[in-house]
Amino acid sequence: MSHEVHNPVPIKHKYFTPGVIGLIIIAVNGLVFLMGRFFFGIGAVTNLNNQYPWGLWIGVDVAAGVALAAGGFTTAALGHIMHRDEYHAIVRPALLTAMLGYTFVAMGVFVDIGRWYFIWHPLVMWNGNSALFEVGICVMIYLTVLYIEFLPVVTERFIGKVNLPKFLAGFNKPVDKFLRVLDRGLSKTMFIFIIAGVVLSSLHQSSLGTLMVIAGPKMHPLWQTPILPLLFLLSAVSVGFPMVIFESLIASRSLKLKPEMPVLSRLGSMIAPLLGIYLAFKIGDMVIRKTFVYLVDFNTASVMFTIELLFGVIIPLRMFLSPKVLKTPSLLFTASALVVFGVLLNRINNFVVAYNPPYSTESYFPSFGEISVTVGFVAILVLAYRFIVLNFPVISLPSKTAPQTKYTIRGVK
Amino acid sequence: MSGKSRRDFLKSTALIGAGVTGLTTTAKAGPQNILSEDRMGVLVDTTVCVGCRNCEWACKDAHNLPAGNLEDYEDRKVLDTKRRPGTDALTVVNEYSHGKNSSLPIDVKVQCMHCDHPACVSACIVGAFTKHENGTVTWDTDMCIGCRYCMAACPFQVPAFEYDKALNPMIMKCDFCFDRTKEGKLPACVEICPVEALTYGKRSDLIKIARDRIKRNPDKYVDHILGETEVGGTSWMYLASKDFAELEFPKLGKNPAPGVSESIQHGIFAYFVPPISLYALLGGIMWITKRRKELDEEVK
Amino acid sequence: MKKFLALILVLVFTIGINAQQSPGKDHSKLNLSCKTCHSCDVPTKSDPCLVICPREKITTVYQKPEQTPELITINQLSDRYGPVYFSHKIHAQMSIMSGGCENCHHHNTSGPILKCNSCHETSRKREDVSIPDLKGAYHRQCMDCHREWSHETGCNSCHTLKKDLKDTKNESLQKKYSGKDHPVIIEPTKLVYETKSDKGKLVTFYHDDHTKKFGLNCTSCHKQESCTKCHDVNNTDKSKNQKVVTKKTFEDQHSNCISCHSKTENCSKCHGEKTLEPFDHGKKTGWALNKHHINLSCAKCHGSKLPYNKLDNKCLSCHKGWNAENFKHSITGLQLDEMHSELSCEDCHTDGNFGIKPSCDGCHDDYSFPKQKPGKLVK
Repeated sequence: MSHEVHNPVPIKHKYFTPGVIGLIIIAVNGLVFLMGRFFFGIGAVTNLNNQYPWGLWIGVDVAAGVALAAGGFTTAALGHIMHRDEYHAIVRPALLTAMLGYTFVAMGVFVDIGRWYFIWHPLVMWNGNSALFEVGICVMIYLTVLYIEFLPVVTERFIGKVNLPKFLAGFNKPVDKFLRVLDRGLSKTMFIFIIAGVVLSSLHQSSLGTLMVIAGPKMHPLWQTPILPLLFLLSAVSVGFPMVIFESLIASRSLKLKPEMPVLSRLGSMIAPLLGIYLAFKIGDMVIRKTFVYLVDFNTASVMFTIELLFGVIIPLRMFLSPKVLKTPSLLFTASALVVFGVLLNRINNFVVAYNPPYSTESYFPSFGEISVTVGFVAILVLAYRFIVLNFPVISLPSKTAPQTKYTIRGVK
Repeated sequence: MSGKSRRDFLKSTALIGAGVTGLTTTAKAGPQNILSEDRMGVLVDTTVCVGCRNCEWACKDAHNLPAGNLEDYEDRKVLDTKRRPGTDALTVVNEYSHGKNSSLPIDVKVQCMHCDHPACVSACIVGAFTKHENGTVTWDTDMCIGCRYCMAACPFQVPAFEYDKALNPMIMKCDFCFDRTKEGKLPACVEICPVEALTYGKRSDLIKIARDRIKRNPDKYVDHILGETEVGGTSWMYLASKDFAELEFPKLGKNPAPGVSESIQHGIFAYFVPPISLYALLGGIMWITKRRKELDEEVK
Repeated sequence: MKKFLALILVLVFTIGINAQQSPGKDHSKLNLSCKTCHSCDVPTKSDPCLVICPREKITTVYQKPEQTPELITINQLSDRYGPVYFSHKIHAQMSIMSGGCENCHHHNTSGPILKCNSCHETSRKREDVSIPDLKGAYHRQCMDCHREWSHETGCNSCHTLKKDLKDTKNESLQKKYSGKDHPVIIEPTKLVYETKSDKGKLVTFYHDDHTKKFGLNCTSCHKQESCTKCHDVNNTDKSKNQKVVTKKTFEDQHSNCISCHSKTENCSKCHGEKTLEPFDHGKKTGWALNKHHINLSCAKCHGSKLPYNKLDNKCLSCHKGWNAENFKHSITGLQLDEMHSELSCEDCHTDGNFGIKPSCDGCHDDYSFPKQKPGKLVK
């Protein structure tokens, strides 16, 4: 196999650096406030009230988390469903990001809901009319699918290397056997999960947009539109690759690796059309509903909308059209970061800024505790990512030699 | 090897498809919206209400909330600030200036409107909310997971949440005294109201009565029954002497609040056809691209 | 007195019980549109399709306040609280200026006074909820006014908790109200209204002049007065300069005045930058009223028709019976001396106009009036 130049291996790099220590401090700070939430109630830590039931945790942890984890399903569709093997190098990092991202979403939901011990209720108590039910169920299943998709990485890491502590050493062989059986079974059925992952993602990415449709006039008309689900899906699809580029470039810099520029450039060239479609729908919706009149009044909503559209969509769209940007790591990173920022801001805008309930005496701004928890979660996410890529074969290193094991590429061959 | 895996692929796809269709047939439908012809309602005549706040006391008393002495509700200073129904009071009275006569303020009782097409019933992730045949919208705390989507969805911003409780925080709102009306009693607020500003009766009768009052006193009332058509109609309806916007009622259209989101939701999940089609489509693409690649390799 | 009171109470009670809702056979002859009471075109006995109250237009029985019960005990619904005693007569005495009996007895037929519960059901849970139940009706009657001036809605402002009730027969209250009338209303003499008119901010109204001089009844202006006018607890301190702000239409503001004062009169007649003097016959007409005229009502000379006719200043226009024989000159304040009393009237009042004081130079060269007088001044 001539194209097997990418070869996922555990990266050899030390775990602790000054940056990592900083992240740990941020994570601990978040965990302290998290304890406050569980011991004294949501009101003790957040600025939420009866007028603003949803805030930063839903807007960022859940909505933005889901959107930014879209890299998982977009690269899976590209790499596995379209069988574009040249992108296999980035499928695993994207999968890992998605898996951790969705774990972070699940944690966000767990923290935000008042009766967290009943988080399993939607599994048995169904309400087909509820967009949130659909999101909840899809996210639960998709999270499971993501873990299953990631299993081959685990089996690959341990097959032939099972080395349990001494008193369990006798189980080394059976465990190895089990892993091999699991691996073989997975490699035959993986395509089911991959397709399911893409379907589930499309469903809940759009349903996340349906969530706020029911808020109706409580939402600022710049964002409130019946095509919100479509806009959410389109923005999720267009943020998938930028997120992969963003995260790949950060990882290679942090781990002192050579950026996978050929793959990333090719990936980057696909972003402009996707962003273009998103922008077309966004502008078209604005024109049809004549909401551009609201842009004239100078207030938080209009400013945030302009920033979101200008810096999050239009500028990166122009950048991705330039071949120079696609070839220069720093510019590619900037453009991708702008798209990521744009979608993050879009989700915050939709769930927090646009939400303007009647009877609110003062507008909502997240408390220090809320921000701490969210930032803490992100820190934990990064720490987990670093731990996994250092210990599991996720990131591909260019290699001239043939793969050492036959388990290099998981999923559908 | 490749032939075998293709057969596996087809078999598994069929299996998954069958599984999902099986799921749809067993899937429990969302809560039904029963709109009985005889459903009850309350007509709140704000021109009659004197703002005595007895209803606030009666409501707390009927719902086992700390109510205090009825006599303590005589203090009218409370009315200087605008309040909202919360976890400690499921209904509150707010006072607004009359405009023409400063000694006759307008008092407005606020509580859950008990919509005919409730957004909360549609939104609740676990279907804990129920619209009953008599018009009441109740919820089951034991099912609630505390996601507060009902609060985000409610067009009248009514449900409240116990933010201060770490364990077992509850969503709270007016339950139209469902337990009392089941026994044939009146809602507590209706029963205590000294001036019968709250008229409890069949919703259809109340609309007739309200129309009649407006017709006979066109100078006294604005020609608008709030709740007759708002968000598809509500069980609680209001009459007033001035524009409802000045009494801080949200301006709402005639379409039921959950209308758009439900049609989107049902469109995406119409008998699971769209998801299954998408699944089949993706499966097809996957199969074709895979086959093309295999052919390419055979050629080589 | 007590017996009399009991008699009235019994009477009212029996009348109440026997009250029929039917306005009687002749009611179709009343000067009323059928639609006042019936909603359909052809009302029948079985389906009279009556519209709900108020039907005050067909009330025909009026009683003087003094003929009505002094005290009414309201105790049909008492549960938590003891009975409420309503001083009917005192309220009735004031009702004349605030809408009359119909204000409370809003749903009456041409027959005798109906009891409230003949229409208002005692149970709140009922089939027909188009009119308020008895509890609601009672409270609306009282609170609609009382809250307006007391700014209170607490139950205790009228009710006494049963457990706090000592005087069960309530003799003290009976004593409080028996034989009592509503205190006489002290009329203001002068009222100055501050208006927004650009024709002159201040309008001065001499209440005195209107009631005493012009002889207007209270009800000719005060028809739909609110009790608040006098009873507002926020305005009890009479020494302070009260300022009541009203928001009325132009028509409402002027309706009371223009029922007498012509609409076409120019604004400055009432509106000015300074407060106006009270009406002064001398200044306004050039004919000052002497002590004989000053106490007369305007109508005595001007007739009752408004606006008043302008009269000439000839005495004989009014005093038609006066002649040289029966006229006593001393009435003018000058008792003629013997010399002059012999003269005929026209000798001095040469042009026959008695309104102008004569001069002496018609007869005397060196005399002048009023320096020298043809007689003695009397009071």
